[in-house]
Amino acid sequence: MNGRTAAATALGVAALGLLAGCTSTAQAAPAASPAGPAKDGTYRATGDYDTPGGPESVDVTLTVRSGVVTAVHVTGSHITPNAQHYQAAFESGISGVVVGKRLAGLSVGAVSGSSLTGQGFDQALDSIRVEAAK
Amino acid sequence: MTGAVTAFDAIGTRWRITTGRVLTADERAAVDDLVEEYDRTFSRFRADSAVARLAATGGPVDLGRSAPALLGLLQRLAALTRGAMTPLIGGSLEHLGYDAGYRLAAAPGYRAAPPIESLHVDGSTATLTAPAVLDVGAAGKGQLVDLVLALLQGAGHTTCTVDAGGDLRIAGGPVRVALEHPFDPDAAIGVVTVADAAVAGSAPNRRRWTSPDGRRLHHVLDGRTGEPVDTVAATWAVAGTAMLADALATALFLVPPEELEPEFDFTWLRMATDGRAHWSPRLPAEVFA
Repeated sequence: MNGRTAAATALGVAALGLLAGCTSTAQAAPAASPAGPAKDGTYRATGDYDTPGGPESVDVTLTVRSGVVTAVHVTGSHITPNAQHYQAAFESGISGVVVGKRLAGLSVGAVSGSSLTGQGFDQALDSIRVEAAK
Repeated sequence: MTGAVTAFDAIGTRWRITTGRVLTADERAAVDDLVEEYDRTFSRFRADSAVARLAATGGPVDLGRSAPALLGLLQRLAALTRGAMTPLIGGSLEHLGYDAGYRLAAAPGYRAAPPIESLHVDGSTATLTAPAVLDVGAAGKGQLVDLVLALLQGAGHTTCTVDAGGDLRIAGGPVRVALEHPFDPDAAIGVVTVADAAVAGSAPNRRRWTSPDGRRLHHVLDGRTGEPVDTVAATWAVAGTAMLADALATALFLVPPEELEPEFDFTWLRMATDGRAHWSPRLPAEVFA
């Protein structure tokens, strides 16, 4: 792995904002909508954020195919000592950009994830949407 | 695994129990009783729970036979994460509207959790020395999975899978478990293959809500600030028990895996919000990266 990977991880806050921006342009989301899949395409944005090591900026390019992020390119303005610490820490693991596979094509006995949220929470979101539509 | 499937909704999630033979009516009733007893003790979302009584009175309140292991683990993780992960996070969640009424109407700002030293545990009895709301959500669902599995094993089900909304434990196996893509519920980012072990994941993206002042919120908070953690999109842990896997999946949001590895026997995967994943070399997985 290299410094770019480490920086990208430490800079997740900025990237989340960018992802959220992509999704909100792809759909007329109600205020309480959970994040949905984005439209196909390449998204590019620059984000600024504050770290304990000082302000940094990050360029992110995302490629989305069939609602799945298939490529990510992240460039940070510089690497802080904190990010370098992250880099050293992550060398004990393996890293890579996630490329999703359709669940329908996988032979599995179970799925571990967040789609099965509680009914109470989903109902609360639904009621908020109804309120928002009034 | 193939077998008989028992599915039901409880503690706010979908349960799916797979066993070699169909559960008897007595076994099914025993599972329901166990889940109800646990919920009545630990649910922050019902007014008649022991945890609600603890929040209202400060205790002492007896939290039952499951409490020593559960609270012991959560106290240990609070110390290891220097308060970032804490079972006293309930008040911070309520501040953001994630309360018994699911109002999802956040008050302005964030509320940090009180220090973990405010919680005293003596056996199964808990006492609070400062106003606080206990929330065992980080490990409670996992512990209940372990308890249900133990009940079924005691009834002679030597091979079974207990799956509570994606946090699961397998007796026997191996079972292939897909890791759901946090940005796409129809896709997986990998598959772990697990035998006689537990898998738990955490991904708050589909449980998001928006505050009146426009903040996008979710329920995995840093106890030191009370703010949602937005650098991590999803985590998974594979461990011997579902309680440990569940707790470590949350801990992975708050500290690097390397800080947890010397303390617990587990493997992990952590995906950042930019789409990059890191995983432990020993993870029994194929990751699509």
